[in-house]
Amino acid sequence: MSELLHFAEHRLQEAALVVMAIVYVSRLYWLTRFPAGKERQAPTGLGDTNSRKGFIYSWGNVAMPWAMESSRMKPFLYGQFVLFHLGVVAAIALSFVIPYAPGLLDSSLLVTVFRVTILAALLVGVARIIRRASDVYMRKISTPDDYFSLLLLTVWFFFAFLSVPNKSDAGEWHLLTYFVLTAFFLIYVPFSKISHYLYYPFTRYYLGKSLGRRGVFPLRRMRHPEAERS
Amino acid sequence: MSNNNTRSHRAHKVIERMGKKLNRQMVGSLVACVHCGMCTDSCHYVLTNPGDPTYAPAYKADQIRKFFKRHYDWTGRVLPWWVKARSLYTDEDLEQLKDTVFGKCTNCRRCTVNCPMGVDYPTVNRMARGLLVSVGIMPEGVAVVSKDQWEIGNQMGVLKEDYLETLEWLSEELEGELEDPAAVIPIDKMDADVVYSINPREVKYDPRTISDAAKIFYSAGENWTMPSEGWDMTNFGLFSGDDDLGGAVARRLYDKVEELRGKKLVISECGHGYRSTRCEGQNWGKVDVGFEMESSVVTMLRYIKEGKIKVDKSRNTQPVTFHDSCNNARSCGMTEEPRELLSLVTTDFREMYPNRAENYCCTGGGGAMSMSEYTPRRLKSAKVKADQLAATGATVVVTSCHNCVDGLGDLIKHYKLNMQVTQLVNLVANALVVEKKLAVAVPVMPTEAAAPLAGVTILVADDEPDFVTFASTVLEDNGATVLKAYNGNEAFAIAHSGKPDLITLDISMPGKSGTEVFEELRNDPALKAIPVCIITGKPELRKLIYERAVLPPEGYIDKPASEEALLLNVRRILDHVHHRTSA
Ligand code: SF4
Ligand code: SF4
Repeated sequence: MSELLHFAEHRLQEAALVVMAIVYVSRLYWLTRFPAGKERQAPTGLGDTNSRKGFIYSWGNVAMPWAMESSRMKPFLYGQFVLFHLGVVAAIALSFVIPYAPGLLDSSLLVTVFRVTILAALLVGVARIIRRASDVYMRKISTPDDYFSLLLLTVWFFFAFLSVPNKSDAGEWHLLTYFVLTAFFLIYVPFSKISHYLYYPFTRYYLGKSLGRRGVFPLRRMRHPEAERS
Repeated sequence: MSNNNTRSHRAHKVIERMGKKLNRQMVGSLVACVHCGMCTDSCHYVLTNPGDPTYAPAYKADQIRKFFKRHYDWTGRVLPWWVKARSLYTDEDLEQLKDTVFGKCTNCRRCTVNCPMGVDYPTVNRMARGLLVSVGIMPEGVAVVSKDQWEIGNQMGVLKEDYLETLEWLSEELEGELEDPAAVIPIDKMDADVVYSINPREVKYDPRTISDAAKIFYSAGENWTMPSEGWDMTNFGLFSGDDDLGGAVARRLYDKVEELRGKKLVISECGHGYRSTRCEGQNWGKVDVGFEMESSVVTMLRYIKEGKIKVDKSRNTQPVTFHDSCNNARSCGMTEEPRELLSLVTTDFREMYPNRAENYCCTGGGGAMSMSEYTPRRLKSAKVKADQLAATGATVVVTSCHNCVDGLGDLIKHYKLNMQVTQLVNLVANALVVEKKLAVAVPVMPTEAAAPLAGVTILVADDEPDFVTFASTVLEDNGATVLKAYNGNEAFAIAHSGKPDLITLDISMPGKSGTEVFEELRNDPALKAIPVCIITGKPELRKLIYERAVLPPEGYIDKPASEEALLLNVRRILDHVHHRTSA
């Protein structure tokens, strides 16, 4: 391993992680400086739910595609969402496995799991780029940051896929690119839309807390077989 | 803040005030959108305007988000073009924002429950409305209704004497119908168990809902009252985003209940009224109240369950469906109680799909009914709801919201659906078994009751021959002499020659419009005392209420009008005028 790659796998990642942590903390501080809206009224609804149930349901929503019409009616997009985020988890995990526990990649099973997961995410990334650029609604709401973040992740998946076996027989360029991209990613994330995972628990907590108190969450609905099919 | 020199005063104020309005939840919704587009199809505006992305919830939210980012978020401050951040500069920018936040969203919250990130766009939209209102930029209807609620105390400008006279008249009717001197509408009774608050629409257009509720309270043996002031449970602050108005209106009602030492405030069937009074008012007004609050739906259900009233569901056999008001379902969790009540008072209930918190807006929510400039857009977006209604096969749609009654009524007419809109209170009252008191043999009706309009001459002015025939038959069957006019010029001429005791006047007529005829009648010394009941199939034309160059009309009826509504309103107006002249 070259010194440059070693630097990219270790010092660069650590520095990037520190920067990300500092920016995240300051972001959270900024958010909490805004006063939280208060609900003074007595709870409404049937009494079989409350704020606590509301925010737990709200947090769990992401894993309940049936709970929201938008994901229920678009299983293909929901599937893409799952694959894409599994790919993110795999690619992040890989950036720790390679420098700190490379032995794990001796397992061909684990290598296959990493490769399949990341490849699937890569394909979803391509599909998402096409959707964002071709769908009239998506185009209208997209910013340069949306395109760049998606492109960045898709390219990152590509290099993560190439880096999975952690082999440098044919050169280190793919590993080097992967780790440089990872570091850039860590620094760029807090300033971009990718930081949504920082906000996700936050927004869903407040929404769930409020709608739980109001008896709205967990949502109730009566299914109509035909309506569900159409 | 940059470019203050090139920014209009109003734009400057909007940006400055945004900082004071933002709370943590709003900021969360402003920063968390990932532009995934999952919410797009959840909006009725999108579904009815295919290919037009400016209706997409995320796009609409971005119109607010862009100036939030430019001034309050770091990336937008440093690299505005990267996240499409842009400040507001001119009044034209504000007008464009007005078009989005008032004209392209009913704040129904359907996109909220469909956003995986938990972005609550309607809350942010309401905040933006409030910012625009604070600098005087809003649809005219919003300005007028807000003014009425600030100054007169209710959003339809009902004067106290008119309100009290209507209650008195309804009380007398009730006493006569139930043949019991105790069957009255008590006003300002101290220490009542229930203080009943209503929507001013009930006084203006739908007094039957008040008398039906009174009948139910009477039958349940309730110790109840209605307040003489602070009785309006609606709150335009919810629609205009003006928290000060919202708080003041809510406090007015709370203070009155406390003054009367009422134990419970019962809120009549109105989605935005219920949400404002029960769920938001204390937050806007920053007050805590020491009494309970309940929707009249829950009250009626309780009465049946506790055996306080008896109902016979076989009296409501028409196929009915239920429309969930957005405010009740998505902001207050009231979805099951109305269905349970319906199952007790009707025999043929058909569910609408989607329903409950996934239901589509009536498309008249968020104050849309008062913004006539957006009516074509509203009616176009109502296609979704019209299809939903038609698919049920029901002939009656029930809703626990006065705003939805108007919104649904309007779209039913527009899309020519064979349906009527009603409320639970009407169905419960119709199914009500009033033991003994109503079971007494129907007495021989005195001549006046058999022909309650005997000796009365009424001019029916309407360009729809069907309506003229319908109204004439109903009125003549009740003893009235009917004069008929089919256009505005004819109406005015017949009013002169026939000197009727009452004129029912359609607003949209060929030639001279009903509005012009109305103003001419009011300005003619010989005719100005004749009471006028405005009849319209377009609720937004009720601008007559607001444009007060002349005295307002004595009553209003929505088309399609039922026989009952027509008679009830005509009798109320005549009774009212009789009281006025004999006083
Ligand atoms: S679903 Fe939520 S995150 Fe996605 S575009 Fe709509 S508001 Fe934004
Ligand atoms: S609140 Fe309702 S009307 Fe407004 S954008 Fe969302 S779905 Fe559309």
